[in-house]
Amino acid sequence: MKLSTYNFLTSMAIKGVKVGFPLKLTISKKELVETEFNPTFVERLLPKLDWSAVYGAAQVAELAEDIPAVQPESIVDNEQLLQKLHHLLFEIDVLEGQLECPETGRIFPITDGIPNMLLNEDEV
Amino acid sequence: MHVEQQQQTVNNAKKADKKRRRCLAIIKSDCDVSPSDTPTVYLAILNVGLSNGLTEESLLEAAAQTGGSVSEVAMLTGKSYCFLVCCSLEDSQLVYTGMHNVSTIGQQGAVAYLSYVTALPTLAGKSEWNKPLPSGLIVLPDFVSDAEEATLLRSIAEDGRSYEGTLKHRHVKHFGYEFLYGSNNVDPTKPLEQSVPTACDFLWPRLESFSSSWDWSTPDQLTVNEYKPGHGIPPHVDTHSAFLDPILSLSLQSDVVMDFRRGEAQVQVKLPRRSLLIMSGEARYDWTHGIKPKHIDVVPTATGSLTTQARSKRTSLTFRRLRRGNCNCSYPTLCDSQQSTVPQELSTTLADQAVSLEQQNVHEVYDKIANHFSETRHSPWPQVAQFLDSFEPESVVLDVGCGNGKYLGCNAHILAIGCDRSQGLLAVGQQKGQNVFRCDCLNVPVRSSSIDGCISIAVIHHLASADRRLSALREMARVLRPGGRALVYVWAKEQRRNDRKSAYLRQNKAVNKERTTEQEQRQKQQHELEQRPQDHVSLPVHTNRTEFQQQDVLVPWKTKDEQRTTFLRYYHVFEEHELDKLVAQVPEVELTKSYYDQGNHCVIFKKIAICTARP
Repeated sequence: MKLSTYNFLTSMAIKGVKVGFPLKLTISKKELVETEFNPTFVERLLPKLDWSAVYGAAQVAELAEDIPAVQPESIVDNEQLLQKLHHLLFEIDVLEGQLECPETGRIFPITDGIPNMLLNEDEV
Repeated sequence: MHVEQQQQTVNNAKKADKKRRRCLAIIKSDCDVSPSDTPTVYLAILNVGLSNGLTEESLLEAAAQTGGSVSEVAMLTGKSYCFLVCCSLEDSQLVYTGMHNVSTIGQQGAVAYLSYVTALPTLAGKSEWNKPLPSGLIVLPDFVSDAEEATLLRSIAEDGRSYEGTLKHRHVKHFGYEFLYGSNNVDPTKPLEQSVPTACDFLWPRLESFSSSWDWSTPDQLTVNEYKPGHGIPPHVDTHSAFLDPILSLSLQSDVVMDFRRGEAQVQVKLPRRSLLIMSGEARYDWTHGIKPKHIDVVPTATGSLTTQARSKRTSLTFRRLRRGNCNCSYPTLCDSQQSTVPQELSTTLADQAVSLEQQNVHEVYDKIANHFSETRHSPWPQVAQFLDSFEPESVVLDVGCGNGKYLGCNAHILAIGCDRSQGLLAVGQQKGQNVFRCDCLNVPVRSSSIDGCISIAVIHHLASADRRLSALREMARVLRPGGRALVYVWAKEQRRNDRKSAYLRQNKAVNKERTTEQEQRQKQQHELEQRPQDHVSLPVHTNRTEFQQQDVLVPWKTKDEQRTTFLRYYHVFEEHELDKLVAQVPEVELTKSYYDQGNHCVIFKKIAICTARP
């Protein structure tokens, strides 16, 4: 699971859960995948992402120093930050770990790079 | 004798010996008959038989020329060898020396090779011809005279219409109503100008002796088939809902052999020239009938052995009466009326058992067939790829039910994320470096209004109730941002449009080449299903690459491994506009486009309002 994908996931489908976001991320095994840096892509994708989850992911991935806690007003000219965001969002692949619902504590395991968000019938 | 000639003779003998040994090996493995070094009364003709057009007559003639007497001929269907039984050892020796490497009874005058054998094969005599006829099948020989035959043929030719050349293996002409080969039915609202010729009227009084058992009245539909040698008709049953019982068929101009089949049972019936075939009851409803496209038929002789008969031009007149309503026969397997009516209780059962049905007949199956399934899913459908290409760069697109992720890499300029139920299929996508997660399409774990586009290709037809199919659409609508667009594909019940078959049907090569019919394939599958110990199947099982008869069906998937295990996947195939109507029930979206693409119903819809929290 790339951390860009993580940014979209919620546990709101669980019965009684209101927001279910951001999910609490734990990484026990990750892989670095080098991909081509496209600053425009990162910049234009940002409005679609939730910054709190970007920042949260950076903390878990031990890249907190690179990413500010508050989203900067303009990022177009900040190529350095764009590069760091690119690395965070597209180059870290979480192979093993888990996602935890912030409201119920329900754990969703990440195995072989695939988060299992499947819910049991009695949970929805 | 010259040296060269001597050499030639030696070579010939060597060649004959080699050929003989090869033939004897085939006969030994085919029917366990061994050669004998000493003369016996049993002779094998090693290289000529029914399969290369040998007739009993020409064989007996050749034997007679040797001066030896023959008491029995044994010819086997589909074999290039046959057997003679001689009256005595002396006769046998005469026939052997007179025919072996001498008689030119083979194809194109090829020389025959003979051998003494220890016995006749046990197969001989157990031919297709000794079986009882299917129940309800009657052949009335000499039903019309030579003069009447000529009159009938004239009256058919008289209307001036030529035969239609649309069918691969024969020419046809219709009277009363046109038989439409696309739907295998007639349109009762469109009678033809040419009704059944009055020249046929003399036939009906002759059938009066049977009228007690049938609700008899004059046929109102006639199909004339003209077959040249090598022509045939694939095994079929006349559509139950189209025609009443019985069906009559008059054979003119020449004899032919017709094959009747039901499951594994097969019966061959000789239809002599000027005979009437009556198919009623079981023979009309539950047996398929067809004519193999051949030049030579194998037929029984008066003494009960087999011989061959070259075909010549044959015209058949098939008389039928339109049914105008549903068929309620007692033979449901091939009954289109009964196969397409959904039992009242089924939709309630489906709704009640949706979860377990999807679990057992969708999720578990996909996990088991994931690898093989993935191998068969590689090329993106063009109109789906086109939709993906329509997104601006940097768009976020979610593929709900992404399978092996074949669409995730289509457009390199967007962020494509896929989700699926099947761990096995997701693993294939993950290996390719794609962004995937596992979930159910009824509960997509994605933030509301966060996605620019959604696709869901061949997914929601696996959901077993209308409510669940609607819920899946609602989930897509929820995750889309206002202005976001979604494309949904589902399998259509209708696999034929504007008389064109879908890609799915076009892959049924045997049917397309008129070697068989969908009915025959259905019958075979029904038979197969009956053979295997089946876990409880409450739904009809669809026959692959044929038209759907019902909306809720189990579709077989045969694995390619040695076991050839069959898995049954549940599908709800959509009627036209059914998907549009579902989309209309989702308040926050509007339908942009609805179309039919190769046997699929497809919609594109757009989110119009900001989605509020989930209900």
